Amino acid sequence: MIPTALRGASKPWLLLLPLALFLCTFFLVPLGQVAMMSVTEPEPGFGNYAHLAGDALYLQVFLNTFLTAFGVAVGCLLLGYPLAYLMAQSSPRVAALLMLLVTMSFWTSFLVRTYAWMVLLGNNGPLTALLGFLGWDPPPHLLFTRFSSTLAMVHILIPYMVMSLYSVMKRIDPALLRAAESLGAKPWGVFRQVYLPLSAPGMVNGATLVFMICLGFYVTPVLLGSPQEQMVAGLIGTQIEEFLDFGQASAMAMVLLASTLIVLAVYHRRFGLDRLWG
Amino acid sequence: MRLLPRLIGFLVAAFIAAPLLIVVPMSFSTAPSLEFPPPGYWLGYYAAYFSDERWTQPTINSLIIAFGTMLLTMLLVTPATFAVVRHRFLGRGIANLMLTMPMAMPHIVLAIGYYSYLGDLRLTQTHIGVIIAHTALSVPVAFLILSANLKGFDRNLERAAMSLGATPLRTFWHVTLPVLRPGFAISALFAFIQSFDETVVALFISGRESETLPRKMFESIRMQADPVISVVSTLLFAAVVLAILMPVLWKAVQSRRSRSGSGSAARGNGPAITGTAPSDTNPCAPARVQLEA
Repeated sequence: MIPTALRGASKPWLLLLPLALFLCTFFLVPLGQVAMMSVTEPEPGFGNYAHLAGDALYLQVFLNTFLTAFGVAVGCLLLGYPLAYLMAQSSPRVAALLMLLVTMSFWTSFLVRTYAWMVLLGNNGPLTALLGFLGWDPPPHLLFTRFSSTLAMVHILIPYMVMSLYSVMKRIDPALLRAAESLGAKPWGVFRQVYLPLSAPGMVNGATLVFMICLGFYVTPVLLGSPQEQMVAGLIGTQIEEFLDFGQASAMAMVLLASTLIVLAVYHRRFGLDRLWG
Repeated sequence: MRLLPRLIGFLVAAFIAAPLLIVVPMSFSTAPSLEFPPPGYWLGYYAAYFSDERWTQPTINSLIIAFGTMLLTMLLVTPATFAVVRHRFLGRGIANLMLTMPMAMPHIVLAIGYYSYLGDLRLTQTHIGVIIAHTALSVPVAFLILSANLKGFDRNLERAAMSLGATPLRTFWHVTLPVLRPGFAISALFAFIQSFDETVVALFISGRESETLPRKMFESIRMQADPVISVVSTLLFAAVVLAILMPVLWKAVQSRRSRSGSGSAARGNGPAITGTAPSDTNPCAPARVQLEA
């Protein structure tokens, strides 16, 4: 069936039909249901949204989420840049080894990495022991704080950043750097005025990805974060699991979705989406 | 390159590696709760994992669901990809957008949708329900990989076959499919992994009957009660390491063999990672871009 249709240029819709039907039934309709619930549960109207906008607690959670996502993006950039730079400047062999490491981290389940941070930051973990050894008495409680979830998210999302940066840095023509040098620029000047601007697209790509993923991050903040400083996704989960408040949860989900789409749209206008997915 | 930036780069590499490595000794630890360094070592929790139905059943469920997701995704995505890549038609842009849209959704948003929608259909807590949800989430990845492969396909091969008298069906079966086989394999693999790793949606819609491994892991980490989690983590990490190293080692072995003829086995002090240039953009990377967190 496929090949006959392959030739007949009039039948693309036939080929698309099964998937289109599937996505309508099992993607658009459920999504629409969330939108519906946000304005019909428990009663018709925009009460849920009004509640969201009027309650300082919800605003705090959204603000918290944006700040955390921003912090994670900056953290990934600050840590990822030196690593990507090292990879771009090293011998192919070292670069391959480092890429192998990044790829391994990338493919390891979020849950595994979250669990690893639980061990590292736990009260009986190595970091607490180290701080105690250094004379911090009593050692601070690291787990279930904003610090622990932010740190773990930086670790979990840094592969996205490194890969974005590296793919751009590798294409920077070394001749440009030599040219700047021969014209008398100091090493720092070469880096700041030539290399950094040329690697900017990678920075924007990586930061956008990390920021966007972080906005809707559920697993790690719920498991490692402070229950008092939830992020949006975690609060949505709580609304459903504990209060069965579908209306409020849906309204928050719609706002979260809108935020994500706005980030995407801004990126699309400036750079084009194709580049983001690679 | 100067020393300081180099040093920072290696420190970041250590920062990436350390948490991955720490789960391995933890899995052999005798400690009943989180404790590092471990007070002693044994294999007891491995035995516990393989003999405890509360862990083996979710593992089996996850494998079934991931396999079902892979099949359904490929069945739906393959024809659609041919349509979008090879034809210009009204609504092509919309089709393109729709096929990639599930990728931009925070999973928690869809989790609510599926929780109530599949609940109405009485599909929550069933394998089919989870397969359906995971298929919707896997479509973009499979589509992107397959369409990238299909775009690079030289249609002259098909024309040649048909001009030699092959029917379209034979052409597809004997020319198109074999050439695209790696693309198919990779997209199927991604659909599988996407489903096997997916946590948030599964957390809300897979009940006791179809509990997936990530859901069980999530609950276990949340309760902090079950040291078996370190065993599962180690096994998953080991699977990733194996899957990534295998092609690298294979390539290294092959290049060594072809370089030094038959006498190379004598030297065999393990294939190094020589000869594999860093894969520029990791082919796996962009496709995993999902707001799955």
